[in-house]
Amino acid sequence: MKFIKNHLMFILPLMAILLGIEFYLVFDRTTDSYEKGLKEGYSMLVVTKKPMKLEALQSLNKHISRSEKIERKNIVSKIAKGVSHSSSKEILASLPYFYNVGLDSYLQTSVLEQIKTDLEADPNVKKVETFGSSYSSAYRLFSFIKFTLKLFIGFMAVVSFFLIIKQMEIWKYTHRERMQVMEIFGAPVILRSGILFKVAIVDAFFATILTSAVFLYVKFQWAAHSGIDMMMQNKEELFRLTDIAVLLGAALLIVIIAVYSVVFSNRGVQE
Amino acid sequence: MSNVITASHLTLAYENGAKEVIKDASFSIKKGEFVFITGPSGSGKSTLLKALYGKIKPTEGNLVVGGLDLANVRQSKLQELRTHLGIIFQDYKLVNEWTVAKNVVLPLMIAGYSVDVQNTQAHRLLKHVRLAEHADKFPLELSGGEQQRVGVARALAKNPVVILADEPTGNLDDYSSNVIWDLMENACQQLETTVLVVTHKIPTIFSLPYRHFIIESKGVYEVH
Repeated sequence: MKFIKNHLMFILPLMAILLGIEFYLVFDRTTDSYEKGLKEGYSMLVVTKKPMKLEALQSLNKHISRSEKIERKNIVSKIAKGVSHSSSKEILASLPYFYNVGLDSYLQTSVLEQIKTDLEADPNVKKVETFGSSYSSAYRLFSFIKFTLKLFIGFMAVVSFFLIIKQMEIWKYTHRERMQVMEIFGAPVILRSGILFKVAIVDAFFATILTSAVFLYVKFQWAAHSGIDMMMQNKEELFRLTDIAVLLGAALLIVIIAVYSVVFSNRGVQE
Repeated sequence: MSNVITASHLTLAYENGAKEVIKDASFSIKKGEFVFITGPSGSGKSTLLKALYGKIKPTEGNLVVGGLDLANVRQSKLQELRTHLGIIFQDYKLVNEWTVAKNVVLPLMIAGYSVDVQNTQAHRLLKHVRLAEHADKFPLELSGGEQQRVGVARALAKNPVVILADEPTGNLDDYSSNVIWDLMENACQQLETTVLVVTHKIPTIFSLPYRHFIIESKGVYEVH
């Protein structure tokens, strides 16, 4: 019972840190795809006196990645129904040129304003509409969610780290006698800490397996049957095989730091 | 005979040199000698012993053990030196979670001997200290005298150059004390091991020729 308790006291906080790391990875991937969606779905409207090529727009601001000309004939056909052919020709001639302009990344509203200023500085550009308010509210909501989740993950990591320190103090007490005796008889650090490493590495593997199992369950069971579109569409982002390597690497790093801090804090204690 | 331990103008102190325990001590000990160091409580006997296995660094002067100057020694060299020392403590310093046999072969384990060699040596050493039947027990299942015999067996495990003993019989009854002195006399006589014992009182039953140093007023003096 004591043996299981000792292991759980290290595995649980380690798992909490690994869950935090995995949450971060999943969140980063899903927000990346959300950002991509927002970026691709967003475009500003640029009205010009004469036709303008993409290169010309890009020379005004480097964030412009694509431009799509809105066919003026389509506009005229919609607004000039029942109008004679000659009149519609006149309307077409007097219409400026319209472009849907896309950006290279998801930008802050201040940058959008800068793009607008840059474009409007060109005498050929008549008008730029950024649709800033809807863009801004989506961006702010997105930033808020991102911030809160990162804060939560950070908080979880800090609390778990303190729990690991607590467990390290217990280890320090439990293994002090053996490590001191071994040090007196000339055992190198690697031999003195051998047993601790074995215990900690086993715990690191367990924590990685359990954390991976939680996310595999979420991916294949919960997300698949959740009925939540976003979850079902982004199922692949929830857990990747490479995440196991990231989690194991992080767990082993924490273990190495924990064990060495115990070993070195036990050095030089008076016999 | 060559010197195994040489101290010249040795000063040992705590608290970054503020609290001197031994000052300007010079002495040397040859291979195969049995040496007692006595002195009142707090005189610095245990401090000197700690300095001899590199637990405390000399503040001034030199302390050479087994050809290694402990005043200027790297950690790796110090570890190597400790593998050639047998150290016996008043409180035994056995690892209570290990069996008696595993405690005895600790120096062999550190030196990287195979498990087969360790097992053979554990049996031989425990037979030597008359504890062969207790090999699989844990230290806390043994009496104080028996635990100290395990400590002596551990100290002898790798045929050390020097055995350092800090009040080895301090917690033992007369019978157990005599067994321990007997074992250490044998080690000195048969293996030509240098034995240095810190004690309050030299045992009356001791039969070997020995040297006696006394620590008084921070000095180390030989008693003739």
